Amino acid sequence: MSLPVDPKVIPKPPVPLEFSVKAESIKITGFWMFLVSDMLIFASLFSVFAVFRSRIMAGPTPNQIFHYGSTLLETLLLLTSSFTVGMAIFAMRKSHAQAMMTWLVVTLVLGAGFVATEIHEFITDVQHGITWHVSGFLSGFFVLVGTHGAHVSFGIAWAVTLLFQLSRRGLTPVTTRKLYTFSLYWHFLDIVWVFIFTFVYLFGKIT
Amino acid sequence: MAKEPSEQIIWDEERGEPGFGFIRPHFHQEIFPTSQIVGYVLSLALTLTSFLLVIHRTFSASPLLVAILILAVGQAGVQVGIFMHLRESRGPAWQVIPLFLGFFIAGGMIAMSIWIMMFKWGGY
Amino acid sequence: MSFMAVYLFYLYMIHTLFPENVRQPTELGADVMIIGTGIIIVSVLTRYKKWRWLWSEWLTTVDHKKIGVLYLISALAMLFRGGVDALMLRTNLALPNIQPIGANEYNEVFTTHGTIMIFFMAMPFIFALFNAVVPLMIGARDVAFPRLNAISYWLFAFGALLLNISFVLGGSPNAGWTAYAPFTERAFTPGVGENYYFMSLLIAGIGTTMTGINFLVTIIRMRAPGMTFMRMPLFVWTTLTTSALIIFAFPPLTVALALTLIDRLFQASFFTLGHGGMPMMYVNLFWLFGHPEVYIVVMPAFGIFSEVVATFSGKQLFGYTAMVLSVVAIMLFAYGTWVHHFFTMGAGPSVNVFFGLSTMLIAIPTGVKIFNWIFTMWGGRIRMTVAMLYQIAFIPTFAIGGATGVMFAVVPADYQLHNGYFLIAHFHNVLIGGTLFGLLSGMHYWWPKMFGFSLNERLGKLAFWLFFIGFWITFTPQYMLGFEGMTRRLYTYPLGYGWHMLNVISTLGAFTMGAGFVVLVYDIVWSLFKMPRDATGDPWNGRTLEWALPSPVPEYNFARIPVVTSRDMFWWMKRHHATIADQLKPNDIRELDLPKNSPVPFILGLGFFIFGFGMVFEWWLLAFLGLAIIIGSLIYTGFDYDEHKQVSADEILHIEQSLGRLQG
Ligand code: HEM
Ligand SMILES: [Cu+2]
Repeated sequence: MSLPVDPKVIPKPPVPLEFSVKAESIKITGFWMFLVSDMLIFASLFSVFAVFRSRIMAGPTPNQIFHYGSTLLETLLLLTSSFTVGMAIFAMRKSHAQAMMTWLVVTLVLGAGFVATEIHEFITDVQHGITWHVSGFLSGFFVLVGTHGAHVSFGIAWAVTLLFQLSRRGLTPVTTRKLYTFSLYWHFLDIVWVFIFTFVYLFGKIT
Repeated sequence: MAKEPSEQIIWDEERGEPGFGFIRPHFHQEIFPTSQIVGYVLSLALTLTSFLLVIHRTFSASPLLVAILILAVGQAGVQVGIFMHLRESRGPAWQVIPLFLGFFIAGGMIAMSIWIMMFKWGGY
Repeated sequence: MSFMAVYLFYLYMIHTLFPENVRQPTELGADVMIIGTGIIIVSVLTRYKKWRWLWSEWLTTVDHKKIGVLYLISALAMLFRGGVDALMLRTNLALPNIQPIGANEYNEVFTTHGTIMIFFMAMPFIFALFNAVVPLMIGARDVAFPRLNAISYWLFAFGALLLNISFVLGGSPNAGWTAYAPFTERAFTPGVGENYYFMSLLIAGIGTTMTGINFLVTIIRMRAPGMTFMRMPLFVWTTLTTSALIIFAFPPLTVALALTLIDRLFQASFFTLGHGGMPMMYVNLFWLFGHPEVYIVVMPAFGIFSEVVATFSGKQLFGYTAMVLSVVAIMLFAYGTWVHHFFTMGAGPSVNVFFGLSTMLIAIPTGVKIFNWIFTMWGGRIRMTVAMLYQIAFIPTFAIGGATGVMFAVVPADYQLHNGYFLIAHFHNVLIGGTLFGLLSGMHYWWPKMFGFSLNERLGKLAFWLFFIGFWITFTPQYMLGFEGMTRRLYTYPLGYGWHMLNVISTLGAFTMGAGFVVLVYDIVWSLFKMPRDATGDPWNGRTLEWALPSPVPEYNFARIPVVTSRDMFWWMKRHHATIADQLKPNDIRELDLPKNSPVPFILGLGFFIFGFGMVFEWWLLAFLGLAIIIGSLIYTGFDYDEHKQVSADEILHIEQSLGRLQG
């Protein structure tokens, strides 16, 4: 039963807890694949937005509705939360459960701040009669940005259930794997946001 | 959960396939969160650069678009490479291949859709 | 007062659930039949006290082999429904100016026919075979995510149910299986029919995406030791590429469907005519999915044929490496051709030329495969089983379908052929000759592995000949009709166009295929009662690992995970007088963790169904109820850490002993 095993492939002994059980490490691979398909959902929405960008009709132009201050604020909130969730994983790897929970809570607060800002923006828009009914451009804009916002909100709800599980069960291969996949999700949303910030807001400012 | 020896030993070694170059697994472990901090600083710098470039209208429109696009891709690189630990895996880091294929198809999808639907704009 | 309210509510329900066009004798007949069948099933289950059995063995199962059986049953049922639709269409066109069903019904019937055949027949049939054999072929105990696998099935099943009830509750969709905007916008197609289409495909599409992820990860991460990529059977390779295609191709569909639904239900302006909407963007997104989809349904058939041809020629597959490279090439090219479905949109010469050329290119790897299959048969000792007959019929049929396909790639020709009967004949050529023949071949080939007995070969051959001859009688005239100018989605035609005879012949062919289906069902029922059980587990003298196991396969698949040392591993074992049974010694057997049955997948599916139904009728309360069920079951699974059950070594020892698989 000897096999031609390439010793370079074997992970060096201190394998992190979330990878220590094979079945759990497979779930991490699976989550990557999910992220790939989710990325293509966003790519489709981006292509819709790109094509609809000039279809302003009687509606407002990008420059009339984008508030660059709050957009920058949203970006900073999300980038920081990406860092804090990275720190939560760092603490988790060190088995500092308390630090990990703290970083996670900070992440959630930042995420909630992001969602609140975005909802506030949307509500003001709608109050000024700027809805997705008005133009193709606004349809593309609201659905692209709104889908991202919905993802962030879902992530927050997910992390809250994770907080309960972590505090009840401590650091086990399963709980750490869940937190690890959550961090992947969160960083992924950060990347999507960076592209929204560039493609939607900054491009809107230029043209 | 210790089970069959065959599963424990051979099973884990990803059945004797070479972990070639870019999918060789690599676990990230540090004493101090240097890379996290570096990543954070980098990501802030990239975003602020593109924001300032646009606000101050440093270049004319087209080079500016290209510049901030490159900055955004760099930002994605920072997130994927530093924060998402791209190559962490047991056995070969297979996720790298679908991920890059995905980037490629996503970019192609957007660019081609713009190209195909351009006829509606009467040129661009 | 309250009486009045109840009465008004009653009237309202009647009018929304059974609108004008539904309250007709034919539809009421269908109603009665469906309700009648339901009552019969329920009473049989109650009479024989089978409810508990049904629930604990099937509805909550997470075992990939049982899920495969569920998929297969659903796919055959949907083949029946889609086939009946096809016969209704052909009957309506049999003679000029006869209209057994009217124009609107014709629209509904070709829409449900196409939608069901593609999404609810071909896809689940493919997943049935994936589930039934892929884990066995790679030497795994299960798929990577068993519970997710069950969730996928139930999302598919409830999505299919949602589309199927449209016929009797509120009216079917009638805008074709492509549902092009702006026709599907509210302004042009009010009513709930199109909502059904979008909702059911969204729900089933989520399930399909998850199946793609599941099998991709299974193949990447769960292969037995020594099962390197270049030792995988070709069916596993095509499963891998198909899954990758699903992951990359379904998102644009999801977006296209969701955006149209948002337009319809919440007044956005994506694909509308006013307010700067752009209907052609829907078409672009749809075919971004749609072209990869045709490879999603045909690539598994390529894989099946590669297994079947090797087994029944008694030879190793010719040109394995070339085969692998060509499936990978097809997977990559499949993303670069989608515009050939809408050359007539007018995107301009450069776009059309680019996509015309890329379409011609993709024919090359397919040609490579055809030659490899022929060379595998060359000089082999061919056994003419039913599975092999389908394979042999497939080669010329698919080659002709492919050749007519390349004709569409010539853009000026496409302007002539687009949306005519030539197109209908072409895509049935590839869908029936490629996909359906492939799936039927795979069904006959793996049936003994799934159920423990073979199908009757004589009846199978009769069904095959009816299908094959019927196919050519149906579709050859349709190529000619295409040249005569008959257009697609036409519900009737006047006398004197010269289309008369050809349509009569075509309809006769369709009924021949219908007879083939009846024989197939009879074959299945007959074999269920009359065929001897398969004791060896290897009725065809197979080559790949699944035949090393007893049939039907025990829940844990492999008592001990095999170590793979060569391609066609089981053939190798047989050559070296070693089977898995020979290698198995009592102290090789260990206690195992198996995934535990769970009610969550079924309840989640039900939640999606209720949510979908609420959305279709815009009954928000119902939709919220469905959403609550969905969220509730997600939270429940999140907190459920008890996913495994243990099977003791003694138990396994006992099973293996009773199967005669133990040494000493
Ligand atoms: C018994 C065999 C079959 C017959 C006789 C048949 C017949 C037909 C007919 C008459 C139409 C409508 C043409 C029109 O009015 O435009 C049609 C459309 C279609 N069929 Fe079939 N069909 C068969 C099997 C299949 C299979 C196996 C598939 C797929 C796997 C399939 C997929 C489709 C699709 C996608 C459409 C287009 C529907 C649309 O226009 O939206 N058919 N078929
Ligand atoms: Cu195509």
